[in-house]
Amino acid sequence: MRRLQLVIVTALLLAIPGVAMAADEVSVSDLISESEEMSGVEIIVAGELVGDYGFRGDGWMWTQLNGDIYVGSPIREGGDPVGGNTGVGIRMPSRLGEGLGAPGGYRSRGPNVRVAGIWKHHDPARQGESYLEVTSMTILEPGRPMGEGPQWIATWTGLALVAGALVLRLRDRPVA
Amino acid sequence: MLVKPTRHDFELIGHYLGRVSLVVAAAGCLPLIWAAVTGEWHPFGSFVLMIGVFAFLGVLGTRLAPQDPQLDWSHGMVVAALTWLVVPPIAAIPFALSGHFGTPLDAVFDSVSGLTTTGLAVISDLDHLATSLNFWRHLLQFLGGLGIIVAALTVFAGPGGVTLYFGEGRGERFLPSVTSISRFIWTVASVHLVAIVTTLTLVGWSILGFDLHRAAFHAITMFFAGFSTGGFAPQSTSIGYYHSAVFEAVASVSMLAGVMSFGLHHSLWRGPRRDAIANLETRTILSTFGFTLVLTLIGLGATSAFTELTGLTRQGFFQIFSAHTTTGWSTISSSELSGWGGLAFGGMAIAMALGGMGNSTAGGVKALRVGLTIKTVTNQVKQALQPEHAVVGATYYQTGRRHLTHDTVMAVMTISLLYVALYLLGAGVGVAYGIPLQQALFESVSASATIGLSVGVTDPSMPALLQIVYMLQMWAGRLEFLALFSLIGFVYAALRGK
Repeated sequence: MRRLQLVIVTALLLAIPGVAMAADEVSVSDLISESEEMSGVEIIVAGELVGDYGFRGDGWMWTQLNGDIYVGSPIREGGDPVGGNTGVGIRMPSRLGEGLGAPGGYRSRGPNVRVAGIWKHHDPARQGESYLEVTSMTILEPGRPMGEGPQWIATWTGLALVAGALVLRLRDRPVA
Repeated sequence: MLVKPTRHDFELIGHYLGRVSLVVAAAGCLPLIWAAVTGEWHPFGSFVLMIGVFAFLGVLGTRLAPQDPQLDWSHGMVVAALTWLVVPPIAAIPFALSGHFGTPLDAVFDSVSGLTTTGLAVISDLDHLATSLNFWRHLLQFLGGLGIIVAALTVFAGPGGVTLYFGEGRGERFLPSVTSISRFIWTVASVHLVAIVTTLTLVGWSILGFDLHRAAFHAITMFFAGFSTGGFAPQSTSIGYYHSAVFEAVASVSMLAGVMSFGLHHSLWRGPRRDAIANLETRTILSTFGFTLVLTLIGLGATSAFTELTGLTRQGFFQIFSAHTTTGWSTISSSELSGWGGLAFGGMAIAMALGGMGNSTAGGVKALRVGLTIKTVTNQVKQALQPEHAVVGATYYQTGRRHLTHDTVMAVMTISLLYVALYLLGAGVGVAYGIPLQQALFESVSASATIGLSVGVTDPSMPALLQIVYMLQMWAGRLEFLALFSLIGFVYAALRGK
């Protein structure tokens, strides 16, 4: 299924002329810190798609592209908590966003992608919103589920405390 | 001479702290159920542990049943202050066990920030956080905004409610009993919850194209954060994540409802509606909002950031509205915000420092105090222009015509000056750590006025001492000092009293 998705997306990419290979590749953090300077510039940026895929009725799909340390080493898989996320909003034609698999979240690592597009800093057409308008996308690594397991020590300690509280409460009740 | 507290005093305080703990334990069952329903078993265990600790301590506390459970003023203040010190570390257990915080102090920081409705955060990788933990972060803001003690008072009405109510930074009794006020506050919150969550869910689903359950998740968390003027958001890019003017507009209604005093809600619901406009507090906040908005728009207009009026107005309006209501949502990045200078920075800083209405979920100096300060200064100028022995009286309208007395002026000035001192204290510590003055001041005001906007100073790598100072600022700012001083006095009396 994933292979099929990959083939579809790659075929779509090939169908779109002018994939911005000539554009400069920048990091998401550079994009944020030099937002105004990069306004209107065609760029390439890589990262993980996280949150939601918002397919709006106007032919665009909105999501968030994160380019932080957790793309490579998620906390769920042993990565260290070293700071907040670094992400930007992106929008792409809906057809590009179809079949991407689950976006990044608690249960899944989102697709790791490289996108090319035009950076819109306080876009007048969208009342001052900043975002990347994607023209093409390559999936570097498909998304995948992330596992989790119960915390038995915390669970049993908590249950013991609740039981202790109930016993104390019952002992305090006046005998009829 | 200070009187040393007796065993009875400690038992009384412990008893009421126990009651509050039981209420928070009950609140903790909501994210526990959420985790069970969604099958998030890792956070599930940490919620069980947190509930267990709250429940056990709660039962132990309530067993300290003094013969006369009547709380006097000082006891109530101490209970209120201690509640806000004891609850956050225990509420932080699920955060600390989540793996998303570098140290336990980081987890407590976010818990304090949540409960005080500040919204500053040092959480790592929020975008991959379990939804049940994200729900708990926002529920903490909701509970903190309404007041943990207000929540408790709704459940256990009894003697001592009045002092507990005032100890939590509330200063207006618009209904005869504290129990009826607590119930009214919950009614207001519930009505807004249903209306706004439904609307936001529909917007998320039909306009933004989210899955229905995800739209509902965003709606609930954003309502909790907006109504409590807390400013957390379920995604790392804050409200900018949604890229939707409609979503921002509906979310702003929750901020508006949160910044309005519950007395004003009462006037609007049950009359007299004239008070809603005639009150000094309403007129002051409308004036200061207009003033800071104009200041910021002029400042932003002078930069090259916005090339046309619509974008400038929408973005400028939202940042100022968020800052003045002390919510702290943002549609721009903290690095861009830190670059705002001149009038734009001034407008934001003033809006943050002044804050919302008293007896609301908002922080800051509060509009009524600002209005009364302006009134006092105006009165002093009038007095100076009169003949030497002339007496200039001043009145103001706040749910009825009132005289501006010397005692009122003293109380207003004292609290206002304490806020200014608190702002400067945090800024001073920040500067001592090498943070530029403008950024240090912005972050300090953000913590003290419980706003949550950040120019990047608040970060997991920040010095532990600065983190502790910000936590104390959030705590003092939320409680409005009175309970804080009562606690200091109580501890001093316990150590040095006779």
